[in-house]
Amino acid sequence: MIDLDLAVIGAGPAGLAAAVRARKEGIRDIVVFDRDDRPGGILNQCIHTGFGLLRFDEDLTGPEYAYRFVTEVNRLKVPVELGTAVVELAKDRILTAVNGKKASKYRCRAIILAMGCRERTRNAVMIPGTRPAGIFTAGKAQRLMNIDGYLPGKSIVILGSGDIGMIMARRLALEGCEVKAVVEKNLYAGGLIRNKVQCLDDFSIPLLLGHTVTAIHGEYRVEKVTICTMNEGGEPDERTAKDIECDTLLLSVGLIPENELTRMAGIGMDRSTGGAFVDNILETETEGVFSCGNVLHVSDIVDYVSLEGEIAASGAAGRIRGVLSEKRYGKRFVSGRNIRQIVPQSITQERETPLFIRVQEPTGPARITAGDIARKRVPVARPSEMIELTIEKKKCQKLLRPPGEGTIEVNCREE
Amino acid sequence: MKNISEDREKSGIFPFNSACDCDKEGIRDGELSKAVFDVVVIGAGIVGSMLLRELSRFECEIAVVEQFPQPGFGVTKSSLSYIHRNHFNPPGTLAAKLCAGARKAFRKLSDELRVDYKETGEFLLALEPSHIPQMMKRKQWGEQNGETGFRIMKGSEVLRREPEVNPAVLSAVYSSGHGMIYPPEWAFALVENACSNGAHAFFGTKVIGIAGNDDGLFTIHTGNGTIRSRFIVNAAGNKAAKIASMTGDDGIELTLSRGTFAIFDKIHSSLVRNILYVGGGDPAVSQVVGPTVSGNLILGLGSFKTPDSTEDTKVTRESLDEIIAMGRDIVPDLPVTDIITFFAGIKSVNNLEEGGDFHIGYSDLSRRVIHLLIGSPGVTASPGIARHVIDLLSDGGLSLVEKKLFDSSREKKEDDWDKGQKWPCGRIVCRCENVTEATIQNAIERGARTIDGVKHLTRAGMGRCQGGFCEGRIIRYLSEALGIEPTEITKKGEGSEQIKGME
Ligand SMILES: Cc1cc2nc3c(=O)[nH]c(=O)nc-3n(C[C@H](O)[C@H](O)[C@H](O)COP(=O)(O)OP(=O)(O)OC[C@H]3O[C@@H](n4cnc5c(N)ncnc54)[C@H](O)[C@@H]3O)c2cc1C
Ligand SMILES: Cc1cc2nc3c(=O)[nH]c(=O)nc-3n(C[C@H](O)[C@H](O)[C@H](O)COP(=O)(O)OP(=O)(O)OC[C@H]3O[C@@H](n4cnc5c(N)ncnc54)[C@H](O)[C@@H]3O)c2cc1C
Repeated sequence: MIDLDLAVIGAGPAGLAAAVRARKEGIRDIVVFDRDDRPGGILNQCIHTGFGLLRFDEDLTGPEYAYRFVTEVNRLKVPVELGTAVVELAKDRILTAVNGKKASKYRCRAIILAMGCRERTRNAVMIPGTRPAGIFTAGKAQRLMNIDGYLPGKSIVILGSGDIGMIMARRLALEGCEVKAVVEKNLYAGGLIRNKVQCLDDFSIPLLLGHTVTAIHGEYRVEKVTICTMNEGGEPDERTAKDIECDTLLLSVGLIPENELTRMAGIGMDRSTGGAFVDNILETETEGVFSCGNVLHVSDIVDYVSLEGEIAASGAAGRIRGVLSEKRYGKRFVSGRNIRQIVPQSITQERETPLFIRVQEPTGPARITAGDIARKRVPVARPSEMIELTIEKKKCQKLLRPPGEGTIEVNCREE
Repeated sequence: MKNISEDREKSGIFPFNSACDCDKEGIRDGELSKAVFDVVVIGAGIVGSMLLRELSRFECEIAVVEQFPQPGFGVTKSSLSYIHRNHFNPPGTLAAKLCAGARKAFRKLSDELRVDYKETGEFLLALEPSHIPQMMKRKQWGEQNGETGFRIMKGSEVLRREPEVNPAVLSAVYSSGHGMIYPPEWAFALVENACSNGAHAFFGTKVIGIAGNDDGLFTIHTGNGTIRSRFIVNAAGNKAAKIASMTGDDGIELTLSRGTFAIFDKIHSSLVRNILYVGGGDPAVSQVVGPTVSGNLILGLGSFKTPDSTEDTKVTRESLDEIIAMGRDIVPDLPVTDIITFFAGIKSVNNLEEGGDFHIGYSDLSRRVIHLLIGSPGVTASPGIARHVIDLLSDGGLSLVEKKLFDSSREKKEDDWDKGQKWPCGRIVCRCENVTEATIQNAIERGARTIDGVKHLTRAGMGRCQGGFCEGRIIRYLSEALGIEPTEITKKGEGSEQIKGME
């Protein structure tokens, strides 16, 4: 058993930012674990631009963005154990990590969970039909192309208009593939508007809103897919069925936070985010265990992910130095009108707190409120775009004095 | 016998060079030689593989020919994979006779071949009064077949043991000791063990015609050339009727049924601990929720809705909705959002209830040809079938002398899991199932030739992300080991190339 102040699980942007911040706050004894052979997480395969606009005011590629943090981590001499997977997390902050040679146990004073997410598969969305070659999740296709150097197919249909799906539509078009359609069951695109414009419109790739894929055909390789329009009840209308010939189907149907370790440790989870319940220092319901980045809730902008890593690291540093008050319940946020998810889910510490909110349904101009402690006007609100609402420190102070439980309702009201 | 038939449909081609000389310890991709075999088994499903392995105890030249690149890729890979106690087969049937003692046989083989076999309990649930006589009939059959230990339990006791079960449960018949295996892994290990005892295996080799010759030998035409043999065992599963017609035995029809299954994420491995059937639990048609040997939760339903063909393994929207609805009858809080994969399998069924049975016997034209027309539960029955077929071969004139040096144990290459520890030590490639690079390389060395092949042998790509992170690396390992381009690597044999944009 090795004693450790801080273990960071995952060397994606969340974990790297956390490691840098923790070291800057004076924590000496840190190890970052990543099962991959290189740090950077999912950013390594995101060779498009669009990263760092908020943080650096620059339009970087994924690897460039990651590189900035990797350089910092190296400069500060924070050890990063690559090719090392954390396979077990016990209740008492003891983790087991395995690498090519051995399994080691670490007893940690604090742990930061930054494991990222994985993609939902065909099975998760239950598309019936045969099981031929040529079905890929969009991120898997992205990895095959950008990391392994293989082009998955030639004529392509993409189901789901998440960001990865739209970015892959452009990537494939640039490689000379025929992207026949991006099929989206909702009446609005799933990803960022900038991606719809830059990746689909600019390349004349049709976006079929209100449609879905209802069957896959082909015994050995995908030969065609059947698509239908969605009826008002949200079900595919079989009478509108039509086939599109293609050799490849890409799925961009959502991401799932990679929380197997979190569950293993018995940490409380939020069904709406798929991540842990956290307070405003991103501490989970288990004292000393923090969560940030995509493992906490799926983010569309990496700059927020790095910010969360830093918040978690400050919290962890506080725990390690023993300056934080004992873990207790504070005030909890609850979803009111048109709110799908809120992170963090509660406030326990007196500090400025950015709330990350997603709405349920798209709206025009709207007012977002958190009880009577914070409000913000937005020109539009879309489920695909996270809304940040900052709660000032003095509002938090007021809220927490006197201490005690209570709820704060968050609402999105169209104006 | 004269030339009986020639079926010239698209034949299976080796997915890799026939020159590829595989590791001698592994399955030999033997060249289709001029050699004359004593026995050729057609089909390397669980049944053909079991037979090959049992035949390899004797001093004779034997081979299996299989159209797919690997054993167990037919019905065997889409089976529910339970080794049933003998309570689903009516007393007096051949099926009942051949399923007797299955557990013991599988336990022993599991030790010898070092493949997983685990046991669990089973409940036949009465959710409504009409289920009671059905479940009682199974209990009676089991007892008549010589099984013991069936217990009737009150609903409250069922719920105490399986709290997730539908609270409406009235009563149940409980029994312990039901086996669970992963059949493709077994088929592979059986063929491997047979080959290390001198058997030959030809994969990617589809039988397209059979001719009888004056010299007393059969010529078996395949997509890769011909082989000659004195005896033929037709273990082609759902295609057995087709092979039978090649030897002149026409007019055989198999009744087909499709089963659809869903597999849940391992996080639900302890949701239910026993196999849960409703009523009589006829494995051919009843809905079931239960564990698998690898610790997933499985939900499934067989249906007599006849599929279009033996290849018609597509999953329909209706069947998915149906199994979920039926599954909720058994376990109301089924975690449907955590389904990680679903699939369908087509099996031949014998309508045991209506007087049907396994049909295993000689061709009308020759006692040197044996057709196996079996149905569910073919996995359970496979050790019994192998023994029975060996008797028939012997009666048909094959002389059987036991080898002095038969080695019943399969040497399992030491991989990362073997060092007696809880976690693998090695570079993890498949992160959902913790499969290491060495395990995958080992599988390729043993004869895995396709992405699905690696998957079924190692579980890489079988977990919750379904190959999202590891597939590229597996393609690279395969391409390096086999010395072919990544674009030539297939998912499951010719025509299923996974990377197709670079031609
Ligand atoms: C395809 C795609 C395109 C995107 N495009 C943009 C864009 O244009 N602009 C933008 O701002 N944002 C974009 N994003 C969002 C942003 O990149 C992500 O939100 C961000 O990378 C998430 O960072 P993370 O550190 O939480 O997770 P990840 O980057 O996924 O890192 C998690 C790390 O944890 C490791 N890990 C997981 N489990 C374990 C374990 N048990 N043991 C050891 N290590 C483990 C993994 O190997 C991985 O390296 C995109 C995201 C994706 C997926
Ligand atoms: C949904 C489902 C659930 C089941 N559950 C259970 C269970 O719980 N317990 C149980 O005991 N049984 C169960 N069964 C039944 C069991 O799976 C089958 O009985 C068994 O797998 C049959 O094995 P086989 O070797 O006869 O057939 P197969 O596995 O189909 O093997 C036949 C082989 O012959 C090959 N072949 C065919 N034609 C040719 C040719 N022309 N040339 C070369 N090769 C050829 C095929 O490629 C195939 O590999 C289930 C079946 C299904 C479908």
